[in-house]
This record gives sequence, C-alpha cells and structure tokens, in this order.
Amino acid sequence: MSRKMKLMIAAGIAVATVVGGNGAAFAMLQAPTAESLRATGEVGEDASGYMALVGSGSAELRRQVDAVNIQRRAKYTELASARGVKIEEVAAAAACQIIRGLRQGQYYRLPGGAWQQRGAQPPQLPSYCG
Amino acid sequence: MISRPLAAAIVPALLAGCVQVSAPEKPIEINLNINIRQEVIVRLQEDVRDLIQENPGVF
Repeated sequence: MSRKMKLMIAAGIAVATVVGGNGAAFAMLQAPTAESLRATGEVGEDASGYMALVGSGSAELRRQVDAVNIQRRAKYTELASARGVKIEEVAAAAACQIIRGLRQGQYYRLPGGAWQQRGAQPPQLPSYCG
Repeated sequence: MISRPLAAAIVPALLAGCVQVSAPEKPIEINLNINIRQEVIVRLQEDVRDLIQENPGVF
C-alpha cells in the first residue's frame, strides 16, 4: 500500500467519524414534531391540550409523544403564571386552537369522548371553546 | 349563667344555622367554577394562538 493511499484511507475514516458524529447529534436535536407525530395516524390531539396515542403504539412512539407533551406543559405553565390562571385552563384553551387546526384524517378526542377523525367538515370543538 | 331552657333553645338554633349555611353553598361553588373556567378559556384564545405560532414543532 502506497503512502498516498494510506493517507486517503486515514482521511476517509476521519471524515466518516465527523459526519457520523454530527449525524447522531443532529438526530437528537431533530426530535419528531407534533405535526409529524399526527401524520403517523397513531397519535391524536386530546381536549386536555396534550397529544396521546390513538392505539397502543410502540414504546418509541410513546417516548416521542411524551417528549412533545413535556414541552407543551412547560409552555402552558409559563403562560398560566404570566396570566394568573390554571395550567389546565391554558391547556384547554390551547386544545381549542389545536383541534381547530387539524387536517382531514387526523385524530382528536373531546372530553369524555372516543377518538374521532376530522372529516371534510370543520372538527367539533369542546363546548367551552366559545 | 345560662338557664337550661335558654340553652335548649340556642343549641338547636346553632345546629340549624350550620346546616342552612353549608347546604346552599355547595351548588353555588360548582356553578361559579364552571363560569370562571369558560370565561378564562375564551379570554386566553389570543395568547394561546401566539404560543402555538411561536412553537411550531411542539404544536
């Protein structure tokens, strides 16, 4: 093996290491968005203001849903303390907007109800949405 | 010193007072909670719309 070839292999390994490392870091930052989770058809929007699994779902999907909900909870908590209202009230108010913005075929669940898919008509909203 | 007939008259009156106060209080409290909640949720709509727009990945 020539010296030049050895150098090329070494350079190749170095590039692969850097790219691979970046890829892993990128994957960690690129957590699935709420929209991509809804698009799986296995995740729906609950009237509580949080996402939930429509069926049983995989452990990985559950983890991703939890990750989104943790971030939502933090945002709801901030707004609730800024406005002097309950976290649950902010979350319920958010649910009105979230459900209103669903695309056709996406799942949602009203208080005390079962999962339903948004059809061509605008989705039903909880009575308190006004 | 309170006479026995007087005490006999006061004690039931106090008990009756307690019952009368606590009984109507419960349903009124529930109604107020529902009203406050609906009003708050309607009032929060604009704030929540902004929150959702500022956090597209989470909503």
